[in-house]
Amino acid sequence: MSEQQPPLGNPAVIGLAGFGLTTLVLQFHNVGWMTSIGPVVWLGLFFGGLAQLIAGLQEQKTGNNFGYCAFTSYGAFWISLCFMLLGNKFDIFKAGTEDVGWFLVAWTLFTVILWIGSLRIHGAMAFTFTTLLIGFILLDLAHFGYPGLTVVAGYELMVCAFAAWYMLAGIILNGLYGRVILPMYKPWVS
Amino acid sequence: MRKTMLGLTGLTLALTAVPAWVSAADPVAATPDEVVTKVHEAVQYLKDKGLAGFSDFNNNKDSRWVWKDSYVFVYSCRDNVMIAHPLRPDMVGKPILQMKDDKDHFLFKDMCKAGDNTDGGWVEYWWPKPGEAKSSRKISYVHSAEVSFKPDIQVGSGIYDDKMSVEDLNKLATQAKQPKKDAP
Repeated sequence: MSEQQPPLGNPAVIGLAGFGLTTLVLQFHNVGWMTSIGPVVWLGLFFGGLAQLIAGLQEQKTGNNFGYCAFTSYGAFWISLCFMLLGNKFDIFKAGTEDVGWFLVAWTLFTVILWIGSLRIHGAMAFTFTTLLIGFILLDLAHFGYPGLTVVAGYELMVCAFAAWYMLAGIILNGLYGRVILPMYKPWVS
Repeated sequence: MRKTMLGLTGLTLALTAVPAWVSAADPVAATPDEVVTKVHEAVQYLKDKGLAGFSDFNNNKDSRWVWKDSYVFVYSCRDNVMIAHPLRPDMVGKPILQMKDDKDHFLFKDMCKAGDNTDGGWVEYWWPKPGEAKSSRKISYVHSAEVSFKPDIQVGSGIYDDKMSVEDLNKLATQAKQPKKDAP
């Protein structure tokens, strides 16, 4: 008989925490509550970026391709976005409004793949990725002639961030209380 | 007697020199064309540089955003804040929409409205010339700028003039070339 392994933590709790918090703080800026982009840059580098990326790499061992790809990629998204903002500050590989727009278009297309996958996971995941995809599309439009949509995207992506935190809270609380406190709901596509 | 003559000659010279100095001051007044060009240049600069571009307009009297008797300022109507002003650091970060000129006009409310037009627009108000305390008639051209993650940014710059009408200047702004895109 082999010895029983101690249970492993779920890397998704950190991935979702970093994704949700950094997304939320960027929206505080996008809707105009927080004037500076500074907190977004630093959080984007470390929590939404580094921490989420590491969580993503840890997902690989769990055999979860969806989490592996999503967390690692969106972690890298935040790091590259922050370096793009820093690059502009120091005149290194400057990216103008439309250049950032194209960057976001590519991420939108990538998100479509994960969105299709999310529909089969559970309702909470499908909802999070649907709001994420809509948010990306709104930000794309904001960078190609409709800057006012940044604010709409801001409020919409706050919903996305809270949806990610709902899943995070679900994993932690359902485990701690030993029963379903926050249900994840049925997948949208079975 | 000779001293008096010399004094009179000096006074005459000084008096004739005054109108010459006044007329020589005209070339240092910014023209509407220059203002439109500078505003379009600033709009393009912010579009290229993003949020990091704001600091270029602040506290820099020797920058390309200050020339003759004019300068370029940057503000957000939605956030109700002056973002950058090369000559008035005291105004930066302060609310703008409640601000009134000497004739009790909410100047920035007019500017925000004019800046919403596709081609921008001219707004008349009273504002002191750089270095002066007394207000003069100022007509500013304002235009919106597209900046990543910062909607509703506007850029403005003005001329000090008593004659030109806002209507004539708006025609000029419409005719002026719009900022070009980086790539087709």
